[in-house]
Amino acid sequence: MMRLILADLRRLWLGAAVVLVLVALATALGMAVTLQERALRLGSARAADSFDLIVGAPGSETQLVLSTVFLQPSPLPLMKGDVLARLAADPRVAFAAPVGFGDFFGTYPIVGTSSDLATDAGHRPLAEGRLFAQTHEAVAGAGTDLRVGDIIHPMHGRPDQSGSVHKEAAYRVVGRMAPSNTPWDRAILVPIEGVWAVHGLHAGRHQEHEGEEPDSHDGDEPSRQIHQSGGWAADLPGLPAIVVKPKTIADAYRLRAAYRTDSALAVFPGEVLTNLYGTLGDARTVLALVVTGAQALVGAAIALIAIGHVSQRRRQIGALRALGAPRIAIFGIVWGEIFALVAAGITAGLGLAYLAARLISAEISKGNGVTLPVAFEGSDASRVLALVAAAGLLAAIPAALAYRQPATAALRH
Amino acid sequence: MLSLALSDVSVSYPGLAEPALFLSDLSITAGERVAVTGPSGSGKSTLVNILTGLDRATRGSIVWQGTDIARLSEGARDRWRYQNVGLIMQDFHLFAGLSAIDNVLLPARLRLDADNALKARAASLLDRVGLGGRDQPIATLSRGEMQRVAVARAVLRRPGILVADEPSASLDAASGAVVADLLDTLSREDGTTLIVVSHDDRIVNRLDRRIHLIRGRIHPDESSSS
Repeated sequence: MMRLILADLRRLWLGAAVVLVLVALATALGMAVTLQERALRLGSARAADSFDLIVGAPGSETQLVLSTVFLQPSPLPLMKGDVLARLAADPRVAFAAPVGFGDFFGTYPIVGTSSDLATDAGHRPLAEGRLFAQTHEAVAGAGTDLRVGDIIHPMHGRPDQSGSVHKEAAYRVVGRMAPSNTPWDRAILVPIEGVWAVHGLHAGRHQEHEGEEPDSHDGDEPSRQIHQSGGWAADLPGLPAIVVKPKTIADAYRLRAAYRTDSALAVFPGEVLTNLYGTLGDARTVLALVVTGAQALVGAAIALIAIGHVSQRRRQIGALRALGAPRIAIFGIVWGEIFALVAAGITAGLGLAYLAARLISAEISKGNGVTLPVAFEGSDASRVLALVAAAGLLAAIPAALAYRQPATAALRH
Repeated sequence: MLSLALSDVSVSYPGLAEPALFLSDLSITAGERVAVTGPSGSGKSTLVNILTGLDRATRGSIVWQGTDIARLSEGARDRWRYQNVGLIMQDFHLFAGLSAIDNVLLPARLRLDADNALKARAASLLDRVGLGGRDQPIATLSRGEMQRVAVARAVLRRPGILVADEPSASLDAASGAVVADLLDTLSREDGTTLIVVSHDDRIVNRLDRRIHLIRGRIHPDESSSS
């Protein structure tokens, strides 16, 4: 029976190839959406893992998380610098690290922070070199092409806009971070004091909004020692965000409650992302419906092709019956041929979906540094089985019809 | 070999005023070799169809060696045909993409019946009909060779009845003669009851008896026994 099926598929290879490609594309379409959505969800959740609590100025929670976790280049409102001092002194806090954005080197964002965030308070060693100790020193992310010893001049503003280069300011790369598979791999970490210095900001002076031109540049001032772990002065310039490491989970919740005030907004990144997924979930549902509709149309087209295929083969089926082939053999040949095609299409579609999702993820990762893990899960197996079962049922229709026609009529056809 | 007793058989089709076939009585003894002749539309193919169980008569009985196939279900008729009838058709009905020997063995394989002995007989039959290249794809054979493969397929299981419907109609004279020889020889060897629908006198004249049909009925003047 298999020989007859294979011989038939070889003989009608063009039609078989069309069916296979149709099924593969329909499968790939649905599966790629699932794989990509999952990869985005997992990748973004992993990127947010090391950010327990983020405190920023009141405004959009989503933007605060996107800018801090994913380093999305959007201006954030600034909160008063004394929030950092209060948080650093809070006994519920393991560390509170400032985060300041706004400068770039090429497409790499330069992030001003403290040693606590760069090393997760000593828990994450550098891959190479040492941590910054002076205002004009930098640590490069694992995804940058910078080497220890390189000198970089920061550019103010977003890379896609014509920003001005701080020619008088320079950072020397003194270390490289270990890979974290997050957008921070593409970042260049510098001391927050360095960022303030480049923008002419000193303790006690702050601007209304980050991104505005400072009154003066003190970028040519000599490099000096930076703040080490511990307390911060209260008269710091305004900050877009502070990453907080609470000592306990209970402390995290208490801190979030305490810093949701008129002057500060504390958020759990995981919670914000979950809300975001909820919003995107609606779009995903719509997309899934569109995909299901497309798959149903392809399914109907395949059913038509299959019935047409059987119609074309009426003489062959009639001959098989004339030669005494049993009903089950006729059913098996027709069913097996259609099912083999559809099953091969589904298999090819799964491979295609995986490949497409990997390519898209790689492209996204290249752009923002987030590693998007593309992987099949157990739930996919039930979906694939459902598809295969549907294919089996669909193939049974023409297979059942094949035996219903009288052999003599089939022979005359 | 099987004998046939056919009585009061008629085959009618909707829209036709007269039956396509009406036979009050017909007997064929076991091992008899019969030619069925008649003009186009006389009911020859209809007769073949009901004799082989491919079609069901509207009424009457068709008893092959005690089995009235008119009373069998469709599935049972298919099984009976596989066990008792070797069928050779005008258009060969071979399966492109399969080799000569795969075509010969196909009906047995579909019944999960192709044991080593049958495979050996298939190879020997192909040698016998002059096709040494048993693995040769069907598509590369001439029409005469294709019909010889069909003959080998029909006699593979040594059926009791061999039915050939216009076996030489689509062949040139030389190929037709070869096929006629094969039918004659192979049916004689096994004593098979042979029924051949043909217009080809070279085949008809070799057979024991002629049944001539006109408008669905046996025409006694044209029918004969040798």
